[in-house]
Amino acid sequence: MLVDSILAGYALFMTPAAIGLTLLGVLFGLVVGALPGLGPLMGIILLLPVAIGLPPVAAMGFLIAIFVGGSCGGSISAILLRIPGTPLAAATLFDGYPMAQKGRASDAIGIAISASALGGLFGGGVLILLAPALAQFASNFAPPEYAALAVTGLIAIAVISEGSLLKGLIAGCFGLLLATIGTDEFSTGYRFTFDTHHMLNGFHIVAVVVGLFAISEMAHQTMGNDLLKKPKIDIARPGFGSVLLTLKHWKNLLRSSTIGAFFGALPGAGGVISSFTSYAVAKAAAGPDEKYGEGEEGGVVATESANNATVGGTLVPSLALGIPGDASSAMLIGALLILGYFPGPTLFEQQPEIVGGIFLVYLTSNVFLLIAGILATPLFVYVLRVPKSYLIPIVLLLCTIGTFALQASVFDLLVMFGFGLVGILLRAASYPLSPIVIGIILGPLLENNLRRSLLISQDGYWIFVERPVSLILIIVNLLLIAGSIWFAVRKKSKAADKVPVSD
Amino acid sequence: MRLRRIFSASIAAVVMMTSTAFADFPERTVENVFPWSAGTAMSVSQIIAKALGEELGVSVPVVSTPGAAGTKAFITSMNRPADGYTIIDGYVAPLVLQPVLGNADWSFKDFKPLHAAVSNAFSIGVKKGETRWSTFEELMEYGKANPGKLRYSSGSRNNLPHMVIAKVLQSYGVVAQNIPYKTDGDARKDLKAGVLDFSFINVGAYLQDKDGFEILLVLSELPGAKASYDGAPSITDLDIELGLSGLAPMGWTWWLVHKDTPDDVADVLRAAMKTAMAREDVKEQISRVGFVPLEWDHTQYEEIVGPVAGQLGAMGNALKWEEDELKKLK
Amino acid sequence: MTMRKKHIGWMVVAFFVAIIAVVFQQIYTSMTEQGIASGGPYDNAAAYPAAVAILIGILVLLQAGLGLLRALPPSDEENEAISLARLKRPAGLLLIFGIYLALLGPLGYHLTTAPMIFAVMVLCGMRIALVTIAVSVVIAFVLAFAFEVFLKVVLPGGIFALNIPW
Repeated sequence: MLVDSILAGYALFMTPAAIGLTLLGVLFGLVVGALPGLGPLMGIILLLPVAIGLPPVAAMGFLIAIFVGGSCGGSISAILLRIPGTPLAAATLFDGYPMAQKGRASDAIGIAISASALGGLFGGGVLILLAPALAQFASNFAPPEYAALAVTGLIAIAVISEGSLLKGLIAGCFGLLLATIGTDEFSTGYRFTFDTHHMLNGFHIVAVVVGLFAISEMAHQTMGNDLLKKPKIDIARPGFGSVLLTLKHWKNLLRSSTIGAFFGALPGAGGVISSFTSYAVAKAAAGPDEKYGEGEEGGVVATESANNATVGGTLVPSLALGIPGDASSAMLIGALLILGYFPGPTLFEQQPEIVGGIFLVYLTSNVFLLIAGILATPLFVYVLRVPKSYLIPIVLLLCTIGTFALQASVFDLLVMFGFGLVGILLRAASYPLSPIVIGIILGPLLENNLRRSLLISQDGYWIFVERPVSLILIIVNLLLIAGSIWFAVRKKSKAADKVPVSD
Repeated sequence: MRLRRIFSASIAAVVMMTSTAFADFPERTVENVFPWSAGTAMSVSQIIAKALGEELGVSVPVVSTPGAAGTKAFITSMNRPADGYTIIDGYVAPLVLQPVLGNADWSFKDFKPLHAAVSNAFSIGVKKGETRWSTFEELMEYGKANPGKLRYSSGSRNNLPHMVIAKVLQSYGVVAQNIPYKTDGDARKDLKAGVLDFSFINVGAYLQDKDGFEILLVLSELPGAKASYDGAPSITDLDIELGLSGLAPMGWTWWLVHKDTPDDVADVLRAAMKTAMAREDVKEQISRVGFVPLEWDHTQYEEIVGPVAGQLGAMGNALKWEEDELKKLK
Repeated sequence: MTMRKKHIGWMVVAFFVAIIAVVFQQIYTSMTEQGIASGGPYDNAAAYPAAVAILIGILVLLQAGLGLLRALPPSDEENEAISLARLKRPAGLLLIFGIYLALLGPLGYHLTTAPMIFAVMVLCGMRIALVTIAVSVVIAFVLAFAFEVFLKVVLPGGIFALNIPW
């Protein structure tokens, strides 16, 4: 049946329009992803009106390619400028930026693109082979399981903020708190809105991310003494060798792609959680000579393969159940409906050629991402040769327009600026900024599913232990917490042993 | 030399800008402010916006501005200049329901209508293979025997489906707990997994997964709505009288502009939207998603929306009743 | 004049304490008035933010307490001094950018953007010359064109409604 549907889709896919638009979509996605502010969702929204006038597989190819390219593009600005182009890339800068600082910008981007494409292909394999089974499995995840999973995500913060565990946790909780601003889903009351309509939906996460990272980074850059000079950075020629560099981390690649595809298949979890979790796992599993956070290739492999595998994973509930995994796939479902196809179990039975065509465009998008991305790397890396006196105002302006474009809101720009100041303050005091991002993403997942579980439950908190999957997740969480405390204590005592020597 | 050219170009640009005030409407992008998050309903607005843009000769992007049950989008639009460059995607929840609930201080008469856009019928569905009941009446009997035990979802709290379902439940004296969800899809997933007992199902969701749900009650008296659910029982088949007719129990949107928009500008938009909504390709695309394209033009606004506002206002206590009954059970 | 990293650490502690204060102030005023500060999970919107705020409070206390209790002399990193003179440029950048964003709404994109770019360039050490002005104007127009034409963004027009019909 699987082979049949792909063969049936092959004819629909092998048209100049479908192939050409898939390529175009990947390139457009890379650009909207790399620009601070805009991301894959905005890219899909902007081009949906164009897509609905096209033949179905070409239209879906176009939009899915934007999703794929956009999920990778954010890493480019993260690596080159220390600015995640999308929240998805917030964990990529941990190692991507230090790599670029060491003169390995091309390698870092090459690895990010290769890992994205390979992770995406892995996600595609999962999609093709396991879609119905995985969709069935995901239906075991109800509010109690999501709440438990959100706690797992919070524990990941502890792992990634080594050296400043407390600071990382404080930043993560700050993110949780930020996520409560706006209209409460349950009581329909307004929280921390200070009587202004601008705050009714809280702060836009992109405005927060751009402010925290980009504005603080630009202010930091002005402290340099070489603002007028053309930086004479020796840039190695990028090439397809970066695929080999990535494949050297094949265990990491497989593991992170699996994590990414798994979180993608759970509606509502999404790419940010996948990339942070994969990074945390990669770091926890690292050997003694691997220095995560200082330009380790594995860090880029983990985050980028995970967030692109999530795209493939997200298509599982979207296509197999008609339930969107995130806002981007919700728009994809909308497009598919307008084109006259109903995602869900019947699509697989009645129009296998469309399912096959979507599989093919998804796989092709990832192949195009690899080829086009690596060929375009020299163009991206050229950014490093632009004198700072030009780069700083242009980046500031791009942040402004990109953030404004989200909701045509000047208030979002003030939010961005405010978080720029917060970012500067926190950075100066050596607080990590990324936990804030994951806190904002996890916040609603935790709070709403906790409250939802309690509403569903007829006997209070027992619902969390009565459901087997939830119980398992809670036990895993307890083990993880115990483990990280044990590691932290052991580390402290080791460090304490060393102190007298160094002083 | 080069400098001078740049300068003359910028001066030309400034001249161009100042001349805009006198030119014909529209001469730049017109924005549609959409009150919900990105999703299927947004893509329906994009279908109409695209067609409207083609008729106007400019692009009409749809800007998602969610928050506070859609009222954020309304306030945002009303704070923009009344120049016709901002269209309000006037969904019934922020337009009529939120004022009825006391969460907004406008009435539907405070806007200038362009044209009706789409409607979307709801139904109450249960999962396939449910053994505890097979008809809506049996569900209600179960609910009456087990007060406060049933779990259902209307998507969000205090939205239109919630109000209509609460009204139906109140008529039967059934107290059930509504569980709000971020997206309708999550609620349907939990319905299928047996976490919820019943849920609101819109036409699009039903069309996507006909084998997954049993539709017990279509929340509309319009024959077309019953037909889209393959003839499932509707509120006209019940013994009780809900006092809801026409668009009142349904979701719909009517595109609007700021009240102070000049008439000649509004007329340009009205004419273009009328042509767009009459186009076969537009109607076809909208219908595929499970929404119903509407043909009423601005002259019928008060006649259609007035009764809806009246009926929703009259049943305003259903939500309060449910809240109070739930509190009594605790 | 110089500033030490540990001083900034205390500023952050003050920042979080202020945030915790705002959370409880809002719970006892606005949320209580709305009737969403009590009841079960359906109605109580205050319990969760209160819990998170308390958690932040505990963590901040631990963080501050560790700093004080540690009998060890502050590490080199914490004692690192930042001369205030070095902060002049970033402060200038924030000032320019802040003024720009504040004026963007009322005056619109086209009147404010080129001056902002120009000011930042001069701050970064570029000469006050026609070339710098020209470059600023070109950057502002090229980006406006790209976003308005290709991405259908309507940039703020301000009170004069200055929008270019490309």
